Amino acid sequence: MATFTVLAVVMVVGALGVVLLRQPVHAALALVGTLLALAVTYVTLEAHFLAAIQVIVYAGAIMVLFLFVLMLLNVQRSIGPQRSLPGLRWAAYATAVVLATAVALVAFWDGRPAPDPAVVSLHLQGGSAAGIADVLFGELLLAFHLVGVLLLTGVVGAVALVQRHDGSAHGAPKAGGPLPAPEGPVGSGRGRKRGALAGGRRS
Amino acid sequence: MTVPTEAYVALSAALFAIGAMGVLIRRSAILVFLSVELMLNAGNLALVAYARHWAGFDALAGLSGQTVVFIVLAVAAAEVAVGLGILVAIFRDRSSTDVDALSGVRL
Repeated sequence: MATFTVLAVVMVVGALGVVLLRQPVHAALALVGTLLALAVTYVTLEAHFLAAIQVIVYAGAIMVLFLFVLMLLNVQRSIGPQRSLPGLRWAAYATAVVLATAVALVAFWDGRPAPDPAVVSLHLQGGSAAGIADVLFGELLLAFHLVGVLLLTGVVGAVALVQRHDGSAHGAPKAGGPLPAPEGPVGSGRGRKRGALAGGRRS
Repeated sequence: MTVPTEAYVALSAALFAIGAMGVLIRRSAILVFLSVELMLNAGNLALVAYARHWAGFDALAGLSGQTVVFIVLAVAAAEVAVGLGILVAIFRDRSSTDVDALSGVRL
């Protein structure tokens, strides 16, 4: 119980940091701390494989991607938590309090005795990769395939999204409207762009 | 002694509520996105807690819960890739990620 209390305090403080800190990088690092504490919580819940995945994928890869984009965009002195809509902040606080208390009350209302730890660890096999793989390649095989397709779509979509469409504006944010469709066939546009990159950049 | 499942669910609810609060009060789109990640993780925590609870009765139920968390992680990774791509495209277009200014696709 002491472990859980410490973890809960760390996670709630980290989550509040994500929401309330002014510097975006600080907020992202607070989220990293929260996710690491969450990984430890997974260990206490007998999900060792998920804890490792949480550290590697979430606190590692995804948060590095976030920090990378934060540094790339360089959103400076970004904007404390306040908005043009009046009263939205207090409405947000009220929403959070009501939501949390409602779910917690329902959870405790329908409280059931905790399961026998011996049976749990027998059934879960410590949350090992073997047990998860049995289900993943058995009952959830369709979801596994769909996730594969989704990841491929996501990668292709991300690459397509960050490609520049026009040959004229390199580097600087362009002055025109959103998404100016390049005239002419795509091939010629590519050629123009490459020519500009090779010739004009070096001058 | 084992920590009851309700405690984990209450913690998950608190995290989810804080994430929802962040979505409401943050102005920069990338920080809204961080709050969404927090909400996703709160949902994962509830799933793992319920997986442990039901593993006391049925091995398949427990392992299924953990496997679903695994799939949610993969979906979150894809979502982050596409979402950050959209953010970079928006930032290139208008040099800011203020969500209050992003009303272009409104009906």
